[in-house]
Amino acid sequence: MGRGISIDDLVDAFMGGTVYADKQLVVTRTSAPIGLRFSGEIDINNREAVATSVSAIAAGDVDVHLDVSSLIFCDISGIRAFVEAAENREKGRLMLHGLPELLQTVMRVTGWADLPNLHVCDCRTDSI
Amino acid sequence: MSMPAPRIAAFRHEALLYVGWQEFIAATVPFIRDGVKAGEPVLVVESEEKIEMLRVALGAEAGEVLFADMAQVGANPARIIPAWREFVARHAAPGRRMRGIGEPIWKERSSDELVECQRHESLLNVAFGGGEPWWLLCPYDVQKLDEAVITEAKRSHEFVTDRGTARRSDAFRGLEASGAPFDVQLPQPENAASRLVFSAADLDSVRALVAQEARTAGLKASRAAELVIAVNEVATNSIRHGGGRGTLRIWNDDSALVCEIRDHGRFDKPLADRERPSTDSASPRGLWLANHLCDLVQIRTLAVGTVVRLRMNRLPSSHLRVVPNRH
Repeated sequence: MGRGISIDDLVDAFMGGTVYADKQLVVTRTSAPIGLRFSGEIDINNREAVATSVSAIAAGDVDVHLDVSSLIFCDISGIRAFVEAAENREKGRLMLHGLPELLQTVMRVTGWADLPNLHVCDCRTDSI
Repeated sequence: MSMPAPRIAAFRHEALLYVGWQEFIAATVPFIRDGVKAGEPVLVVESEEKIEMLRVALGAEAGEVLFADMAQVGANPARIIPAWREFVARHAAPGRRMRGIGEPIWKERSSDELVECQRHESLLNVAFGGGEPWWLLCPYDVQKLDEAVITEAKRSHEFVTDRGTARRSDAFRGLEASGAPFDVQLPQPENAASRLVFSAADLDSVRALVAQEARTAGLKASRAAELVIAVNEVATNSIRHGGGRGTLRIWNDDSALVCEIRDHGRFDKPLADRERPSTDSASPRGLWLANHLCDLVQIRTLAVGTVVRLRMNRLPSSHLRVVPNRH
């Protein structure tokens, strides 16, 4: 999807940066909105790192936005990391942006569709 | 024909052996009517064709009956028990009985599906035995099905109705044996298989191989992605519960792309793949998901470990339907 470099991307590049990277996943901090961007694949090899990154950014009580539109693959343990991070929050939601359709199906089938603190955003990622 | 109507106190699993439409209707319509008359919730899971016939035969009473298309509910037979559980859970109340009719086995079932259907029939005893008082009648078309299928029905059902008479089945294998480890032999692959021994570090290679084989087999991109998810979950189970590693084999048979995962773990909870995940986030979800994404899941518990086969039909008629003949 030919999307040019926006001001947000530049801000993210300078203010945010990479919080985690391995051979199959890069997690970068985003500042507007506050959150993380995930690119690549999540499985049991890096789910701990995902859980740690999300709980660090979700320590406060504002809504936290996770851009998962560049997630090529995410297993149940990865979704579980998002779900548990959301459940552990007392205040503020975890917003998933750009969740691929198949992963929405996975969440519905596995009974994770309607969690109070985890919101799957219908919006397109580039308009958050 | 009159059927004795016992007041059931617990789950009653009964095979109905029928010859032709007349016998089917003559047995099922009074069964449904008695239920409706007694105020019992009734769910009928049958082919579209039979549902249509029953609606006509029942007339106004059809409005009191729930119907579901077995070709959809039970395309993968492992999805049938969750559907019955939902029905029972929704309608259970103190002193209330319920009724169901479910015909999971028909002539056009593939041999792989048939075996899983037969396992399903046994697992119904494990899922509901001794529980809520509901009466499940499972019609078997004696004219069209092999004798071996009828013989097995007598083992998986505590009661059998044959020519209008209900009897306790002498051949019933009992509650305990119904959930015994399932080790019925799986057919050998007819074609050369790709093979990959994996541990945790190789999960990305597992996914890449499945994706490549799915592409080669001509699966739709969405189905290929579903298969990748399912195989990854089963392989993850091998890593976590099956000795840290497993062997993946992939091949094509007449109708499906088959992905097989073998490991040294022991699958010993017979209903584990059809238990709806609880709200607890730690609750297992992998096999449940695989049953919802794949056309068929075959699990075997062997002395040497566990075998799981995930099948994705290549033909567009992936969800087998029995098309009624209108002429």
